[in-house]
Amino acid sequence: MDTLVEIVSPGFLLRDALIGSVLVGCICPLVGVYFVLRRMIFLGVALPQVSAAGIAFAFLAYRMLIGQHQHFMPSERWLAMLGSLSWTLVGLLILAALARHRETVEARIGMTYAVAAAATILFLAADPAAEAHMVNLLKGDILATTGPSLTLMAGVFGAVALLLLAFRKEFLLVSFDRDQAVIFGKHAGLWDSLLYLMIGITISLGVMTAGPLVTFGFLVIPPLTARMITRRMLTFSLTAACLGAVTAFAGFYCAYRFDLPLGPAEVALASLGLAMVTTARGLSRVWERWRAT
Amino acid sequence: MPHALLGLQDVSLGYDGRAVLEHISFAIERGEFLALLGPNGAGKTTLLRGMLGLIPVLAGRITYGFDRSTSPPGYVPQRDALDPIFPLTAREVVLMGTYARLAPLRPVGRRQRQLAAACLEQVGLADLADRPFWALSGGQKQRVLIARGLAVEPNILLLDEPTAGVDPGAAITIMDLIARLNRDQGLTVVLVSHHLRLVRSLVRSVLWIEDGRISKGATEVMLAPERIIDIFGPL
Repeated sequence: MDTLVEIVSPGFLLRDALIGSVLVGCICPLVGVYFVLRRMIFLGVALPQVSAAGIAFAFLAYRMLIGQHQHFMPSERWLAMLGSLSWTLVGLLILAALARHRETVEARIGMTYAVAAAATILFLAADPAAEAHMVNLLKGDILATTGPSLTLMAGVFGAVALLLLAFRKEFLLVSFDRDQAVIFGKHAGLWDSLLYLMIGITISLGVMTAGPLVTFGFLVIPPLTARMITRRMLTFSLTAACLGAVTAFAGFYCAYRFDLPLGPAEVALASLGLAMVTTARGLSRVWERWRAT
Repeated sequence: MPHALLGLQDVSLGYDGRAVLEHISFAIERGEFLALLGPNGAGKTTLLRGMLGLIPVLAGRITYGFDRSTSPPGYVPQRDALDPIFPLTAREVVLMGTYARLAPLRPVGRRQRQLAAACLEQVGLADLADRPFWALSGGQKQRVLIARGLAVEPNILLLDEPTAGVDPGAAITIMDLIARLNRDQGLTVVLVSHHLRLVRSLVRSVLWIEDGRISKGATEVMLAPERIIDIFGPL
């Protein structure tokens, strides 16, 4: 109880990190809802890795073309964001365009993950001077969240959430029945592109802030959990976001209280929630079948 | 074809530049009830999708007697084309039909909700509005999709095998509903079907598609017993 009171107090030392965690936990599921609905879950594995490769590539390209960059400057985060976002968007558009060929989709995503992971290491190895520092940018370090970076996160994630809410009927239509969207003259390609842009921005910022593991975890696990307990689209999205935010807070609490690594603690708690809901549903079905007989 | 609701003039349709149908010309009049029939793979769905603008025309042109941008056609796809992972109630599926006339940023309002409720009432499913779409029977799902097509407030309703995979009783209910919409409301209807018996009893005109060619005529002529024997052989 003391720990809980401590982390919610205004003077808490890691307050920005806590708020950042909850923001990631809240917004990633809102975007992840579309990963689940469009059956693109495995892209949620590959894209954070592509994002990390983009960060490593950006710094390598900068060093080769301009010179050594300066660490701990704001421009460093912008450079990382540029690399992350551009690679994520290109990877997402290519994989989404090839998604029609369902028979090879898993192979493509698996290959993308492997290539991106290898490329990240190779780019890092080519820039040994920056290697030690860049590792933090690549794996995410939410504990190092500062006031300015939190403001950036809040602004970007807030914009993503607003756009998802404002255009939810368009995104639903192009996701559920693309033919119907085309017949309505709704420029399905444009709406797909906007959705992919928001996915790319969320993943890029999520990876830089919290790392690929936490980003993937919150993209996928809260929506999968929410899908099992909701029957309507709006409720599905809001429940996924709430589950993500609560899990992020609870994970932060557990990590702080028991001195655990933050990201894995959050993902483990989210997974535990999914397991509990799955079990409860299974037991409920068994009970109903027993009552019927 | 000055008064036709929809006209095809020497149209070729296909995929990846290869024509499945060529030199197709016919017109659909306002209030017509037309069935597209033919063997499997003849191009019935291709023709339907071409009329809807879902596949590009390879040659010729399709003309419309209405403004598609403000009044798009109603479309009822096969229900298997839709993914059951989406958590949607029957009402929410029907509401999607109202999106046709809603600009981005305009929310769904009372008018759209009342229209969706009225369309569900028309198909006899008002009491199932809040049921999950995927929990409905095959016939009920198909009627919800018809309601969605009606919520578009269309000039013409196009249906792709609306009785596919449903039991005979449900198939009769669905076809009766469609026939009633055409007869009582004057709605122009085009449907793809394999149910010859139901088509013969309810539909007024038939477009037969085979070997890339079409022939159109009144049902009693196109599906006369001797013609059916020609097509399918004697029983």
